[in-house]
Amino acid sequence: MGMKRMLLWGCALMCTVLGMGTAWAAEPIRIGLMAPVTGAWASEGEEMRNIVNLLAEELNAQGGLLGRKIEVVLEDDGGDPRTASLAAQRLATQGIVAVVGTYGSSVTEASQSIYDEASILQIATGSTSIRLSEKNLKYFFRTCPRDDDQGRVAAQTIQKMGFKKVAILHDNTSYAKGLADESQALLKKSGIKVVFFDALTPGERDFTAILTKMKSADPEVIFFTGYYPELGLILRQKKEINWTIPVVGGDATNNPDLVKIAGKDAAEGYYFVSPPIPKDLPYEKTRAFLKNYGDKYNGAVPGSIWAVLAGDAFLSITDAIKATESTDVNKMAQYLHKSEHKTSGLTGEIGFNAKGDRVGDVYRVYRVDAAGAFILQEQ
Amino acid sequence: MEEFFQQLTNGLAVGGIYALIALGYTMVYGVLKLINFAHGDLFALGAYLGLTLLTSLGLNSRVGPLAGLALLVVFVTGLVALAGALLERAAYRPLRQSPRLSAVVSALGASIFIQNTIMLIYGSKIHVYPKGILPAVAVNIFGLQVPLVRILVFVVSLLLMAALFAFIQKTRLGTAIRAVAIDQDAARLMGINVDQVIMIVFLIGPGLGGVAGLLVGLYYGQVNFTMGWIYGLKAFTAAILGGIGNIPGAMLGGLILGVIEALGAAYVSVAWKDAIAFLVLIVILIARPKGLLGERVADKI
Amino acid sequence: MNRRMWGIIAFVAAMAAVPFCLNPYQVDVFNNIGLYALLALSLNIILGDAGMYNMGHAAFYAVGAYTAAFLNTQLGIGILWTLPISGILAGLVGLVLARPVIHLRGDYLLIVTVGVGEIVRIALINNVFGVTGGPNGIFGIARPVFFGFKIAKPHEFFFLIWGFVALTVLLFSSLKNSRFGRALDYLREDHVAAEGSGIDTARYQLLAFMLGAAWAGMAGCLYASKMSIISPESFNFWESVVIFIIVILGGSGNIAGVILGAFLIVGLPELFREFKAFSQARMWFFGLAMMIMMVFRTEGILPPRPRVFKDIDRNVS
Repeated sequence: MGMKRMLLWGCALMCTVLGMGTAWAAEPIRIGLMAPVTGAWASEGEEMRNIVNLLAEELNAQGGLLGRKIEVVLEDDGGDPRTASLAAQRLATQGIVAVVGTYGSSVTEASQSIYDEASILQIATGSTSIRLSEKNLKYFFRTCPRDDDQGRVAAQTIQKMGFKKVAILHDNTSYAKGLADESQALLKKSGIKVVFFDALTPGERDFTAILTKMKSADPEVIFFTGYYPELGLILRQKKEINWTIPVVGGDATNNPDLVKIAGKDAAEGYYFVSPPIPKDLPYEKTRAFLKNYGDKYNGAVPGSIWAVLAGDAFLSITDAIKATESTDVNKMAQYLHKSEHKTSGLTGEIGFNAKGDRVGDVYRVYRVDAAGAFILQEQ
Repeated sequence: MEEFFQQLTNGLAVGGIYALIALGYTMVYGVLKLINFAHGDLFALGAYLGLTLLTSLGLNSRVGPLAGLALLVVFVTGLVALAGALLERAAYRPLRQSPRLSAVVSALGASIFIQNTIMLIYGSKIHVYPKGILPAVAVNIFGLQVPLVRILVFVVSLLLMAALFAFIQKTRLGTAIRAVAIDQDAARLMGINVDQVIMIVFLIGPGLGGVAGLLVGLYYGQVNFTMGWIYGLKAFTAAILGGIGNIPGAMLGGLILGVIEALGAAYVSVAWKDAIAFLVLIVILIARPKGLLGERVADKI
Repeated sequence: MNRRMWGIIAFVAAMAAVPFCLNPYQVDVFNNIGLYALLALSLNIILGDAGMYNMGHAAFYAVGAYTAAFLNTQLGIGILWTLPISGILAGLVGLVLARPVIHLRGDYLLIVTVGVGEIVRIALINNVFGVTGGPNGIFGIARPVFFGFKIAKPHEFFFLIWGFVALTVLLFSSLKNSRFGRALDYLREDHVAAEGSGIDTARYQLLAFMLGAAWAGMAGCLYASKMSIISPESFNFWESVVIFIIVILGGSGNIAGVILGAFLIVGLPELFREFKAFSQARMWFFGLAMMIMMVFRTEGILPPRPRVFKDIDRNVS
């Protein structure tokens, strides 16, 4: 019978410990950050945290906002929808006025209704899935562009390069499939043949079977919409079988590790569309910030543009608080929705349309050169 | 037709790796009837240890490429074997007399534990092996482009399988292992030190897993902390397919699984290939409930 | 028996107090625990009571969730009305899949169920029959309405989920003492002897499998209504493994043990969340704790007590 007692003690213990989290004073302005600090996207989450923390530190050094300090409240979404919904519930109980995040589209989606019901302003940072902003949520914004933008730029790029037969490869994640579908429709419309359309399994290492199959479909270019770890291996294995077909990719391949995985010789000549990488951001403010970032985090440079966009989400929130002189969610949302409002962010001027999507053309085309560097292409 | 043979070689190369991991899986299972879910993570540990030895200690640059490679194999095998034996002592031995599934859950806990140990030490970023340790050239066999390393991986798997089989069948220790596999109590009565034999099995099995991890790291050049899970599941599938507990069965199961995947991807759909592989597995098991080479033993009479 | 009753009463009272004294996040943790408790109870019928190794339970969970989501978003059927349909469909799928493989033993059945789970997940991702929405899944599932009362907040879901758990516990514990329960006990302990005594083992095994699958399907329906969006990644292999762990670690075959298992496996990682310094090491501790718990309680934390028959009891004392 001791077991029953153990069970009760367990419950009691859990209640008390869970209860501890709420007994905090609410003096500073609290801004939530929901990021994948653990799980498959942990490296993205770490950079998101570093950037937002540094921005908050800089702001607090200048005296904070409305005479109050800013406090960043971090919750781990684990890169997974269920954990995200718990993280969102948890943030919603901690007196935050707005939340930055998160990276994955399906992860953001699991948290959207929770923030909406709790009247908390949310600015997503890497969630490019179209439908997130098609739900008429009053308090939802994002600093990243949408997949239809990217699909358009990718299709234009392929068209401009003069290819007539394309092989499209995605990885069956929500994001990659969406981008693949979007581009396929656009390419077909402009008379380009899609001779191969299929999905690999993320996390695998051997893609020779796919390459062999693709080769027999005889495309002129491969368009890959998935992530860099798989692409790195594909480029490498493609080189091994001496197949010299050009490859174009989406923004999830924008990561310096791509070249490390593929090797410089295999990565050379690879094109991808993406928002500009941090070092190509031509703004004084950004350069100063990147320098501070390096000073603080042992000379590191943020590798991911998505983490920089988390910084932009933070800046938009603080700008809205400053401009409206309040932390009222309706006033802030109204301010951000106004088309004439422009926040000066790390990736240029940030403005939002009525749906909460970022306005302006963000996508650029990059090419990997022989030294493995990402070179911005002329428009 | 050329495409078919190309896909066949693709499948055999991938299957060779599955087989190599499955060898360790099946060996442990044969003796303890334990599905060692941590095997995949020991494999990942091998890949990471190899990386550390190569980059931080600069093993390769100090003693030259060939000797370096040999030392690397010895060190990684030894260290992962040690980790395996440690795991057996701490997490499996206390459970030897308990319900079988308790040990399986302990193994799952060990899998999470090892995976996260790797993450805490190395971080969650993808790590990349230094280039050019194994030659990245393709050989032309009957008009097919086959990278040399793939042949190497295949041959290594085959050799290790043969060595293991000979060891189990021909040596005294191997006989002891077989005796323990059949009946631990009877083996003990015959004067066999059962604990010691099981310890040895847990040195060999994980050691093989470690070599496989090193090979995957060297060949694909990229390691991440979750890699053990996906390979572990494939290897387990391969071992079952061949008849778990059976050493040539693991080899056969691995190769067949690799080939099914490649052909499934080629002629049906890449996105469905894992489903096809599992479907074939289920059909085979319905026809042969103990796997391809598993002996038909009466359950209990 | 008396202390056992008091224990149950105390537990129910403590649970009833949860939605009134905890914040939405904490209540939501309890909701998750409740969902996993349901899933684990349903797997317990198959794994703990009938002794069939099933590591693909998420497949039936998924079938239930997708059935509910499809019926709700496409045909506008209230999500709670889909509960029995989800259960029946998942049960039927369980029956059809289990029929040819039920004679497999132990680990062979285990890998087959793993395979079934993966096949279902891959089918969902690839938008099979054009109804599953591919990797996006199905979204916009309506909130459940219970006699005109809309259930949307964690506190409200708490009553729905734990009410269903209570119902399940009552039903399953009476089932344990029925002819069905005794037959399962027998065939799990000694398959051959059970068959020899005239028990139609295949039929009982199939029944157990179907019942477990059906219940997982209903848990899936509740999950769909709670999340309002479902996608294939919520039903991956790891999900099946977690349910499996809950049953074995809690004490397979024992209802109280399985519920305790759900508290530990779902609750512990959330507890670690409190210690920010350890946020990275959350799962490391979790894996370590799993091994330690198994090593020290090798039969699970609350193993079932051996069945004691009353009249025999009287004779002895």
